Amino acid sequence: FIFDLPARLGKCIKSEAYADAVKFYTGAMPIFKAYGDSSFQDCKRASEEAIATIIKNLQGKLFSDSESIQSRAEAAVLLKQLDFPVDSLKAKLLEKLEQSLADLEVKTEGIESAGEDSTSHSGGGSSIGNHEASVGEFAEAVRAYRVIFPDSDKQLISLSRDLITRHFEVTEQYMQKHISSAELLNFLKIIWTDVLLLDNVLEEAGLPDFSLEAARLVVKKYISSKLTHFQQDIADSLVGPKERVGDYSLQDALEAGKKTVLQGSMDVLLDFRQLLDDKLELVIKLRDSIIDWVLEGFQVFFRTLDDHFVLLSEKKSSLDQGLKEGAQTDKALTGLVLVLSQISVFIEQSAIPTITEEIASSFSGGGARGYEYGPAFVPGEICRRFRSAGEKFVNLYIKIRTQRISVILRKRFTTPNWVKHKEPRDVHMFVDLLLQELEAARSEVKQILPQGIRKHHRSDSNGSTTSSRSNPLRDDRMGRSNTHRARSQLLETHLAKLFKQKVEIFTKVEYTQESVVSTIVKLSLKSLQEFVRLQTFNRSGFQQIQLDIQFLRMPLKEIAEDEAAVDFLLDEVIVAASERCLDPIPLEPPILDKLIQAKLAKS
Amino acid sequence: MQGASSGVGYGLKYQARCISDVRADTDHTSFLTGTLSLKEENEVHLIRLSSGGTELVCEGLFSHPNEIWDLRSCPFDQRIFSTVYSSGESFGAAVWQIPELYGQLNSPQLEKIASLDSLVGKINCVLWWPSGKHEKLISIDQENIFSWNLDCSKKVSQVQSQESAGMLHYLSGGAWDPHDVNAVAATCESSVQFWDLRTMKKTNSIECTHVHDLEYDTRKKHILVTAEDESGIHIWDLRMPKVPIQELPGHAHWTWTVRCNPEYDGLILSAGTDSTVNLWLSSSSSEDGMVESPTKRFNPLLNTYTDYEDCVYSVAWSTREPWIFASLSYDGRVVVESVKPYLSKK
Repeated sequence: FIFDLPARLGKCIKSEAYADAVKFYTGAMPIFKAYGDSSFQDCKRASEEAIATIIKNLQGKLFSDSESIQSRAEAAVLLKQLDFPVDSLKAKLLEKLEQSLADLEVKTEGIESAGEDSTSHSGGGSSIGNHEASVGEFAEAVRAYRVIFPDSDKQLISLSRDLITRHFEVTEQYMQKHISSAELLNFLKIIWTDVLLLDNVLEEAGLPDFSLEAARLVVKKYISSKLTHFQQDIADSLVGPKERVGDYSLQDALEAGKKTVLQGSMDVLLDFRQLLDDKLELVIKLRDSIIDWVLEGFQVFFRTLDDHFVLLSEKKSSLDQGLKEGAQTDKALTGLVLVLSQISVFIEQSAIPTITEEIASSFSGGGARGYEYGPAFVPGEICRRFRSAGEKFVNLYIKIRTQRISVILRKRFTTPNWVKHKEPRDVHMFVDLLLQELEAARSEVKQILPQGIRKHHRSDSNGSTTSSRSNPLRDDRMGRSNTHRARSQLLETHLAKLFKQKVEIFTKVEYTQESVVSTIVKLSLKSLQEFVRLQTFNRSGFQQIQLDIQFLRMPLKEIAEDEAAVDFLLDEVIVAASERCLDPIPLEPPILDKLIQAKLAKS
Repeated sequence: MQGASSGVGYGLKYQARCISDVRADTDHTSFLTGTLSLKEENEVHLIRLSSGGTELVCEGLFSHPNEIWDLRSCPFDQRIFSTVYSSGESFGAAVWQIPELYGQLNSPQLEKIASLDSLVGKINCVLWWPSGKHEKLISIDQENIFSWNLDCSKKVSQVQSQESAGMLHYLSGGAWDPHDVNAVAATCESSVQFWDLRTMKKTNSIECTHVHDLEYDTRKKHILVTAEDESGIHIWDLRMPKVPIQELPGHAHWTWTVRCNPEYDGLILSAGTDSTVNLWLSSSSSEDGMVESPTKRFNPLLNTYTDYEDCVYSVAWSTREPWIFASLSYDGRVVVESVKPYLSKK
């Protein structure tokens, strides 16, 4: 019997009946052990050669993917029976499997083209198809190894999870670009298909739940990154393109901003809507959370948008900037502040209601948030925030403008020695600078603020100041010291105004051209009065003030459109100057006129 | 006229810019104020709040040679005060004494006990050390800071040291640190400068434009409050001088002056060219770093006093009754108010 062994083994090899071969061999083992060195030497040697071949073949079988799982498993069992170190084989195979993971990564080109329509399906499809095929092979290998190496479950689970984790990592990386929800969904579809494939062969890995958790994080991140990109888009549209080709006017900026806010938010909401509507099982499970994330996301978005606006409005003082460039950015900044105020108003009045409506219709239904936290999206709060932002920015605009004018006035009034002033020859040139600044403000404001309705009687106001000449003591004083004809003329106008209605200086600013410009004019004239009060004038100094003020009367009334206030404030300046003058004798009207005409003729 | 006023009023005959608390008077709540008239005879009024707090009585009326731009009562002698005055063409500064038994004299005359004529530039203000007996004065003119030795009994003053702020630095005012007798702050066009009086050298500065007035917090060290023309009020921690720790809106036009309450933490008065006085409560006590916007916590504006017909250029807290302050509007009207109703809100 034993003598037959080598021949029989040879036959088995030919017919690939390895099981029989092993059986015969193991059956003969004891005899070989006992008598192998003596009587059955040749036989043993021949058999061992045959067995070596068999082992080689069995290994080959084990490694081969084309063999059926059964035969491979059989091979493993047989090898074990032959005392072959199967574990190292297992390790090798698993290592090979791990390396194959890299090839199984979702290729992004496949995703992009899969997003296109079906006409180009073949190109994209093949890449996806390839991927699916590869994953299929992987799954098959997992299934096989489970049978072949029954104790390899733990490693196989870890490999499968690793594969899924890598998929999500690729997705996140890809998300750094501006992608749409359709593309995200494509990624998730592929991942889910793989998950199901693997779940089939390795239920113990719990891949569906595992991937649900990962998907949760990815979708949340997608929502928040989309909103971040959107915010940057808004900021960019307001500031304008880096290379200015031609003028990016305030009008352009505001229109671009409004469009981006309104259209952009609709687009974003539509995009998020796709996530909600998708039928992918993975995404359906996240539906409630998605609603929450979108609502919360928008709430946070508007809060940070407000902060972003504040950042844009702050002066960037750069010492390196050349004077010209500095002036340019200054000019750009004041305009931007005005734009920010208008877009805040737009957001409060138009954008938020529209967005709220859209959210209510598309993103209704309970979220996963607990009731104790209250609703996620609170439009009332956002509106309040942007209402006050609008006011804040328009006041900032006025402040910037009046500060610039203050500089001009301060220089004008602190430079000369007023007590030793010479007779006035001309209207002083500071009036040109002043009017220039006011014109600049008016033209900016004209671009993006609406015109108001002309009101002749402003009956509502906050914080009015009474005419200071209602104090009888002061008028007495005025009356006592004014005796000259020209002086009494001054007095007459004062008395006339005594009985006039209260003139309001510090009224609340409205979002109209007239309101903003006239506020700037009024504040500037108040500053003028303050500067005058700090000086002491001789007669000529007083006359110079009188001349400059008289010249300013017409242009300022035209700019400010609030004649009463301008007249009142200019008169206050004259009164202040006369009080600070030892000898306040005004210029005769004809001289006044002549000098003013001379100035007008020059310009 | 506005509605019924809650304060007690007193009228000076002419326009006026400064009022000062007579801190050294511990028996009465008194204030000193002086007129700013170019052509008329100027006067210094010593006014006292009646014990019921219902009226202001003139306790002394003294003639003063020139119009008064700055007036401060001496913190350790109630009959002594300093003025900065102008005759229209030139400026001067002096220390005066109200004669003893002035109440019984027919027309009491002020005694000039020291002249602070530096003969250099236009003097802006004279500072006493607010925290106790210290016989030194500081005068700040447009370009220099002077430190004077004052001997009230011998009626002599002498320049101890002087330093120039340098060209192109126009000083406009200042404050003496009540916690450090050697530290003085001076305001100039684009910054606040800090000086050490021993070395007469500049030690530090804060960037802020057009500071009109400033005051050190009497309660907390390192805290400074500035009033800026258009930017309102800023509160600074001098240990971190880059950025203010709190900003308050100030007034509709310029914020002219700020005063910190001597007793209640964080209680600040400000007066402005919009003819109002605002009472603020700053929240800078316990926060570190930047403070969140006040709307999140509470509105720092406790009250606005509007009973004025002209700009308010000066306010003074009473040290003796620290819930009382006096305010002075340009038309010469003094209004004394109590902030008691707002103290409970703290």
